[in-house]
Amino acid sequence: MSGLSHRRGVSRLLGRLELVVIWVVTAVALAPFLWLMVTAFKHRTDVMSPTPKILFSPTLSNFHEAFVIGPFTTNLINSLVTASASTLLCLVLGLPAAYAFSRFRVYGEKHVFFYVLTTRMAPGIALVLPLYMFFQSIGLLGTLTAVTVAQTTFNLALVVYLMRNFFNDIPRELDEAALTEGAGEWQVFTRIILPLARPGIAVTAMISFLFAWNEFLFAFMLGGTGAQTLPAAFPGLVTPHGTYWGQLAAASVVVSIPVLIMIWFIQRHLTRGLTFGAVK
Amino acid sequence: MAKVRLENVSKVYGDVVAVRDIDLEIDHNEFVVLVGPSGCGKSTTLRMIAGLEEISGGSIHIGDRVVNDEPPRMRNVAMVFQNYALYPHMSVRENLAFGLTLARVPRREIDLKVAEAADILGLDELLDRQPAQLSGGERQRVAMGRAIVRHPDVFLFDEPLSNLDAQLRTQMRTEIKRLHRKVKTTVVYVTHDQVEAMTLADRVVIMRAGKVEQIGTPDNIFHYPANAFVAKFIGSPPMNMFDAVVAETTDGKVLRVDSDWQLPVPRHLATRVEAGHEVVIGLRADDITPRGHGMPPREGAVFESAVNIVEPLGSETLLFVNFGPSETIAKMVRPRTVQEGETLSFDVNLEELKLFDRSSGQAIERTRA
Repeated sequence: MSGLSHRRGVSRLLGRLELVVIWVVTAVALAPFLWLMVTAFKHRTDVMSPTPKILFSPTLSNFHEAFVIGPFTTNLINSLVTASASTLLCLVLGLPAAYAFSRFRVYGEKHVFFYVLTTRMAPGIALVLPLYMFFQSIGLLGTLTAVTVAQTTFNLALVVYLMRNFFNDIPRELDEAALTEGAGEWQVFTRIILPLARPGIAVTAMISFLFAWNEFLFAFMLGGTGAQTLPAAFPGLVTPHGTYWGQLAAASVVVSIPVLIMIWFIQRHLTRGLTFGAVK
Repeated sequence: MAKVRLENVSKVYGDVVAVRDIDLEIDHNEFVVLVGPSGCGKSTTLRMIAGLEEISGGSIHIGDRVVNDEPPRMRNVAMVFQNYALYPHMSVRENLAFGLTLARVPRREIDLKVAEAADILGLDELLDRQPAQLSGGERQRVAMGRAIVRHPDVFLFDEPLSNLDAQLRTQMRTEIKRLHRKVKTTVVYVTHDQVEAMTLADRVVIMRAGKVEQIGTPDNIFHYPANAFVAKFIGSPPMNMFDAVVAETTDGKVLRVDSDWQLPVPRHLATRVEAGHEVVIGLRADDITPRGHGMPPREGAVFESAVNIVEPLGSETLLFVNFGPSETIAKMVRPRTVQEGETLSFDVNLEELKLFDRSSGQAIERTRA
């Protein structure tokens, strides 16, 4: 009896310890974000104060300076346009490709699939120079098109990879049943496979959107001043005259909002999306 | 309604020959069952008829057309899958209507045909349910309904009852048979279960290792198996088999199982075998019966043995007894209680004794009476 209660005591202690660890990790992870949130609502003087101010009178002036006086609203729209367009493009191109990889046996298919994956593994910095020259030569440098296309090349592999796993999990008999019922391959794809893969498509689209949204290098190098996205505009706030911490924080808060919303939406599907097909 | 004809059809995957030169002619409205152990090529054959597998050689005819290069949608066949393959995102009604929608059949006609199929299969109550809300048997019926709404030339069934429990399987078997009587279509049905094959088929095609072993009516293959494999595969319990050598004695030819255990060569086989011929004896449990249970055979032999194992099945009892050096299964109809260890005399019905050539496995054909 005493052994049992002793053991119960130990497990209760371990449970508490676990909770402490979770709180510490959460605090460490959230601290910079909290600092950011607080800074976004501080006056310039409060931001620069040598002793960190816990109590201050909040203001929206940073947001006003960045988004109303400054160019950040344009940047925000550019971000929305490029991320949405590249996500759409990724899906339009990637979904049929993923389905083909999932269903059709083609000579050398594994090599082709691996090639597709390597486009994602290549370091962006190695690709950005050739892309820069390419877009310059066709006169698209500094346009939203250039940024969109560049982000598509980068995210397409991800879409193909994730969606192939989703498609693999849809029993092949469904395709075959539809085929014998009079459907062509394209009808099988649009009327059976796509509706069934809808949750997977949603998750993949959101991940693709987030990657494009967060992407800095291509947007910065290829977007120039004409198609500057929100992340690409950040360095402009670090000037020889000083760093505009308040505006940076305000822009950071805004750039984080879609991310938070989407994470909130997909948190239930996210792990399933990433490990789909891995365990079954 | 259409004839189906397979001519020298074969399927090769790399170095593996899955189906080897199959010839098969299926008549209008005929119910043909392909049966065999797993990996015998029966499903592959069915999928080749459906157009889901390309053929490596030969040709397939449906009606008057050669369909070798036609995609499945051009063949006007319907297939019922083992796991039902219902579209999970559609209601039962939408599942039934899907093929008709693809064919751009007018809405009103679709409704009529769906209602008709639902009526035949008793699905009226389920039309607005999703597949996930149905039981196994109901899903199976929807899968069949999906096949019949389109009035296809050929029905293809790929082990449709394998996922059902034993009781439901028997029930659905009867339903499939009744359905065939009602809708009158050519059916090709694949199963590994010989009982399903025997009970459903007009003709049974027994396959092994990609080849056809025998084609015949259930009666025909049961009574006249072409070889030892068919003899053992068809019938429950499986046919008893013993190695023997034909020997000449003063009483005529005998089948010598070992030095002191032999059976006379039955009359219908006497002229077919010579002394020294190495054979396999085949005897069904039905033809080894305890004395006094059933009529004594016209041409018989008698032996005595202790009973090793008793398996009562209700209307009959299976007895495991010693038959010379090996064990055999005997069948007692209108059974009484038998104790294990009890010694009984058994009649062997020599008229039903089969002989197979030991090296080729082929049946030694009986002389016609």
